[in-house]
Amino acid sequence: MDLPCGTRNYDYARDMAVLRTRTHWALFIALLVIVFTAPLYLSRSSLSIANLIGITIIAVTGLNILIGYCGQLSIGHAGFMAVGAYTTAIFTSKLGIPFPISLICSGLSAGLIGIIFGLPSVRVKGFYLAITTIAAQFIIIWVINHWGSATGGFVGISVPTASIGGLEFDTDARQFYLIMVVTSLCLFFAKSIARGRIGRAFVAIRDNDLAAQVMGINLTYYKLLAFFIGCFLAGIAGALFAHWVGFMNAESFTLTDSILFIGMVVIGGLGTTIGPILGVVAIRVLQDRLIYFSPALESAFPALPSGFTVGIGPIVFGLVIILFLILEPRGLAHRWMLFKAAYRLWPFSY
Amino acid sequence: MAELLQYVVTGIAVGMVYALIALGFALIWKSSSVANLALGQLVLISSWFTYGMLVQVGLPYWIGLLLTIVFAVFLGWSIERFTLRPLIAQPILSLITVTLGVGYFLEGLVSFIWPTSVAALPHLFPKEPVHIGPAVVSQEYLWAAGISLALFGMLSLFFKYHKMGIAMRATADDQLAVQACGVPVTSVFSMSWMFACVVAAVGGVLISLIGGITYGLVETGLKSFSVVILGGLDSFIGCMVAGPIIGLAENLGGGYLTPIIGPGIKDIIPFIIIIIVMVIKPFGLFGEERIERI
Repeated sequence: MDLPCGTRNYDYARDMAVLRTRTHWALFIALLVIVFTAPLYLSRSSLSIANLIGITIIAVTGLNILIGYCGQLSIGHAGFMAVGAYTTAIFTSKLGIPFPISLICSGLSAGLIGIIFGLPSVRVKGFYLAITTIAAQFIIIWVINHWGSATGGFVGISVPTASIGGLEFDTDARQFYLIMVVTSLCLFFAKSIARGRIGRAFVAIRDNDLAAQVMGINLTYYKLLAFFIGCFLAGIAGALFAHWVGFMNAESFTLTDSILFIGMVVIGGLGTTIGPILGVVAIRVLQDRLIYFSPALESAFPALPSGFTVGIGPIVFGLVIILFLILEPRGLAHRWMLFKAAYRLWPFSY
Repeated sequence: MAELLQYVVTGIAVGMVYALIALGFALIWKSSSVANLALGQLVLISSWFTYGMLVQVGLPYWIGLLLTIVFAVFLGWSIERFTLRPLIAQPILSLITVTLGVGYFLEGLVSFIWPTSVAALPHLFPKEPVHIGPAVVSQEYLWAAGISLALFGMLSLFFKYHKMGIAMRATADDQLAVQACGVPVTSVFSMSWMFACVVAAVGGVLISLIGGITYGLVETGLKSFSVVILGGLDSFIGCMVAGPIIGLAENLGGGYLTPIIGPGIKDIIPFIIIIIVMVIKPFGLFGEERIERI
């Protein structure tokens, strides 16, 4: 990535650092302060949206590793999230396993299921893989709905609040801290993977998997690893979601959600670390505003059809996905890069 | 025995409709290598449109069905013109994702205009069930199979003899060469989308005559992907062979496995078949195995 003028690297450690300049550090600390003091000044409803945003960022970051870095399309990500959510629900409520362990276990179980459904990716790609993952979504949801003794079936399952060593995360503010800490860790994890050997192998596979194989990259290993990491993060997100909502059934993880996740990755920018954050925040805030404004609009204009409130969401998101793909295929992250370049060069923009 | 025969007949009939919908997919894939994941929503919206014309507006059948066809043609044209054409020569990921976006948009449009989630089309065919040996089958199934077969035959003839059909097959074979020969490739793409939407509409009407209009129609569209996968992506014959196989598997499995495994297994069988085919023979029964070069 381009650096501001005058940034020189005198040793390898500094060359590899994520945060390079003083401005980076200052902005980073300011961001941390803003995020972690948010419960002090955000209202309850905004806080719960912030929680949902944090959870979604984890899932979408996982999806971004899969789609953006490794080029393997997955349209079943909500299904993998459901695997994580139900794992933690069963572990904490029925087996009494402490939350931190069950959080890791739900990531692992979602990752394993991801590997199973990712197996066809060794031989096929593109559309074939898309269909396989759609099938995964339906099969996972069917199993959840019909394995009533463990998952509560259609009725749903209640999940105890998360607690670490006696500290209960029972209010929105406490959950906010938990979710933000896990989200930050996951983002750092994703960034490290993307920067390292694994990430470069993924990018090589995305750009041309045959050429990558010729260069000595073990395709089977790396493709399945991409599925494992992507679904691991989805599982973590699902587990946090389960503890956050407290009661859920398979209705919380639909194919529509999976498509929306892909939309978020596309809108944010494929194959960037900042992309998922921008995409998720944009879509979730838009979603919240739509829910907030559409009943008001409907009562103000009685001429609108009665399905306005239900239908406007998908219409807007579908349009946003299409328009972004046509007009700005590199997503919001690209805009952010342009902005960064512009302010670094200001006032001499050349 | 009567049970078995019943499952077989309904399975083959439903499978024919799946095959018809799948044909629309294969058409687009062959000519422009775009994977149309909005298939389910296309089925859904054209069924609702038919409902709107026949029941809400109250038009006579033949006008209503004709309008549905016109609507499907328009839908296909506008999808190709406004979403796919700006994306020509983009990576396959964008092409798949944009059809997902289109599907999402159409789903919103349906719940926007028709907020009720369930409806039934009026009976277009006589109500008396038909007795085939010991089995009793309602006429919709037979009509569905018949119409699907007839359409398939007509489309095959079209591709074999009509100038546009030949152009479409040629485009599927080699886009560059065809363009050099002066065939307008963009209008071929446009044409293939129109055809796909029309067959999806016909398939949707036939399926909703059997089972009513619900959101399950989206799943019906997704199920026809299993037909495409099993038959091979770029093969019309594959669709016609794999369709009844999927329909049979679904109905026989649904009939005999439900007491053992539990309800709902019927809806999941096509997806299990997808996974199995993917692992064993990813290019399907009749699909062309593509050998890539660097």
